[in-house]
Amino acid sequence: MPFISKIERQTDYSQFDSTVPIVIDNGGSYFRIGWAGEDEPRVIFRNIVQRPRHKTTGETVTVVGDHNPALLRYFDCTRSGPRSAFDGNVVYQFEIMEYILDFGFDRLGADQSQIDHPVLITECACNPIQSRCRMAELLFESYGVPSIAAFGVDAAFSYKYNQQLGICNSDGLAICSGFMTSHAIPFINGEPAYEACCRTNVGGYHVTDYLKQLLSLKYPHHISKLTWEKVEDLKMEHCYIAPDYTSEVRIFQKGAKEAEEKTRCWQLPWTPAPAEEQPSEEELARKAALKERQGQRLREMAEAKRSSRINELENDIRGLEFLLKQLKQVEENNVPAFLRETGYASKQEIESNLAKAIQSLRKAKGEQVETEEKMDASMADKYNLVNVPDDVLTPEQLKEKRKQLFLKSTTEARQRAKQKRIEEELEREKQMKMEEEKRLENPERYLEDLRAKYRELSEKVEQRKRLKTNGNNTNGNQNGSGGVGRGERLNAAQRERMRLLTTAAFDRGKGEDTFGIKDEDWQLYKLMSRDNDDEEDEKSNEDEADLARVSSRLREIDPTFFPKSESGSSTAEPPRFRPLTKEDFQLILGVERFRCPEVLFQPNLIGIDQSGLDEMAGVSIRRLPCKNQGLEERITKSILMTGGSCQYPGMAGRLEAGIRMIRPCGTPITVVRASDPSLDAWRGASVYAAAMQFPNQTFSRTDYYEKGEDWLRRYQFNYTL
Amino acid sequence: MEAEVVEAEIVLPTHLNFKRVQMYEKYPKGQARGRHWKHLKQIIQAENYQNYPPDEPNYVNIESPPPMHPCKRICDITGFEAPYFDPRTKLRYANAEVFKVIRSLPNDYVQRYLALRNAAVVLK
Repeated sequence: MPFISKIERQTDYSQFDSTVPIVIDNGGSYFRIGWAGEDEPRVIFRNIVQRPRHKTTGETVTVVGDHNPALLRYFDCTRSGPRSAFDGNVVYQFEIMEYILDFGFDRLGADQSQIDHPVLITECACNPIQSRCRMAELLFESYGVPSIAAFGVDAAFSYKYNQQLGICNSDGLAICSGFMTSHAIPFINGEPAYEACCRTNVGGYHVTDYLKQLLSLKYPHHISKLTWEKVEDLKMEHCYIAPDYTSEVRIFQKGAKEAEEKTRCWQLPWTPAPAEEQPSEEELARKAALKERQGQRLREMAEAKRSSRINELENDIRGLEFLLKQLKQVEENNVPAFLRETGYASKQEIESNLAKAIQSLRKAKGEQVETEEKMDASMADKYNLVNVPDDVLTPEQLKEKRKQLFLKSTTEARQRAKQKRIEEELEREKQMKMEEEKRLENPERYLEDLRAKYRELSEKVEQRKRLKTNGNNTNGNQNGSGGVGRGERLNAAQRERMRLLTTAAFDRGKGEDTFGIKDEDWQLYKLMSRDNDDEEDEKSNEDEADLARVSSRLREIDPTFFPKSESGSSTAEPPRFRPLTKEDFQLILGVERFRCPEVLFQPNLIGIDQSGLDEMAGVSIRRLPCKNQGLEERITKSILMTGGSCQYPGMAGRLEAGIRMIRPCGTPITVVRASDPSLDAWRGASVYAAAMQFPNQTFSRTDYYEKGEDWLRRYQFNYTL
Repeated sequence: MEAEVVEAEIVLPTHLNFKRVQMYEKYPKGQARGRHWKHLKQIIQAENYQNYPPDEPNYVNIESPPPMHPCKRICDITGFEAPYFDPRTKLRYANAEVFKVIRSLPNDYVQRYLALRNAAVVLK
């Protein structure tokens, strides 16, 4: 949809003399301003205001309407979103309204000291008096407008314009679907009958919002591409109204060819990842050779180290043996002196060092370490004291005994552990052999069993993981859902924690908080601690270990097996073991094309409990003050659809079918669309303002101040001049 | 300001000739602006429509009533007809495949789907 705003500054302001009125159509979506009597409004822009800060200078500026986003990159728009002066279809924020009027008048070319023209401005049907008064004040005070004939209803202007064009008659019904609301207003003799008017609070905004939410939920990855403007474009281009929702939806459900034709696909820009070239044969060979060489080098280094260590040890041993031999030869008296020279304290020390060196040599050479037998041999004399009863021993010997007991029990425990390990090994080997046998007899069934077991285990593990992290795993994308704590259901463990906390903190009304005085109160935290989920952890660890084993087994024997990747977060994420393809970047609009505008006819779909457009027509006719058959027939013969949100293809047919259901059989029903649903309101107002009798319908500043609010409440004007 | 921004004139100038009272005089900087505007609900309340005869059309009594037709139940996710209702997540669904998808959705998605229908639980 093209960018339809027109914001060129007009240069011919001075050529219009003071009696020419300025016509403003103040709509929920667009603001249109121009001169009376002309065919098109001079300036059109979206009725929103932004107040971003300039990135370098830091000043806050006001930007009215929608602009080229490229220009807005100099501003920091994150803190201020676009704001509208409307709440529903009523203006309530007059500061924003003032900015908008400023901009509008500025672009119209105003440059004198005040706006010296009468102003005709539109409002919603049955506008609250407050809003009307404030608007009148704004115009009179800030802009110095001499008179206003404010406050014509936009739908009425549109109807009158089309009546002049001959599209509808003087008795009829206008169904106006706007941005935030939709109205059904009957006309009797050319005047709107407000007592029979009917309003539902759904409009184009709700349709766009619904479409935006549905697409964001369906394609969470592309959420950044789904801006409000883009979704509006999509809506205007692709949405249509189905003549009957249920039958249309059934076509889609069956998946018929018709449904395929009706589905539209939006391809986002996408660059394929550069395909990895298969390294050629020689590349592979070269790499393998390189690896070989490296391996070889490492092995040589290890060898060298080992041999040098062996040499060292051998030298040590030789030296020590030599020392011992010398010691033997030396005489008794010279022993201490000799020992002092060598640096060892006694003969035993030398001997023990020697023994150690011999052992390490043996280990380096790769022989079995024979500690076990040594242990057994010395066990007998080490634990000699254990079996001796206590009362026979001296205190020192008692100490000895305790030490020996301790040593004995630890060595026994170590041996038992080793024994158990050996048993387990044997057990596992037996199991493996059995499985192998089973596999060899019936490979197919074995594979099936294994796959089934894998599936079970993986489901269990995933479910436990999901329970644990439920609610804690919000992606960064979902910032639209507002707040962290709102709307998240607590799982069982969290609920339990909350319950404990609240009971502990509950003030029993005596004014003093007695939690913590007793020591037992603090045990509460142990119960609540997240780390204390022992039982669950054990089970889950077991399951995970089983899962790992089964999956490795499957990988060995089953060529078609794919391990399920660990994606703990939402299943909306595609598993990442395949590269992103073109299809991932396609947004498909199938059922959404007609589901979203259906909201206008069934506001229940978004939870608004009011009638849709077709029923509104019925309600409006029912509310007519004078009931006569002829009038109703005349009304249904000329039903006009107007307003920006009535341009969906298929709307006329649907509306007609809907109204036919409510009216008595055989009544003539004609539904026509306005010649230009968006601009007709302005055009009607312009024609009205250019008419001769217009000044009779206006009120001036003095009027307003004399007669006051009450008079303004009763102020309505005649649409037929 | 950068040249192109000034040229495009997207920024509203602060002083306008035709205004009697300029914006910066009316809303001096630093004051809490905009917080004192009444919202629609408050405006309607302040109107006191009950003091006026009920026949006169006013903003409130032209609202349309709830619909006569029974509410159409469609699946929250796909938009097909939905004869079934999931008691745990309170979503409506059309068939078993959609049900699988619903049960595997994380909680915040569920709440967003419900919010589309205005059926989410809002904790204030």
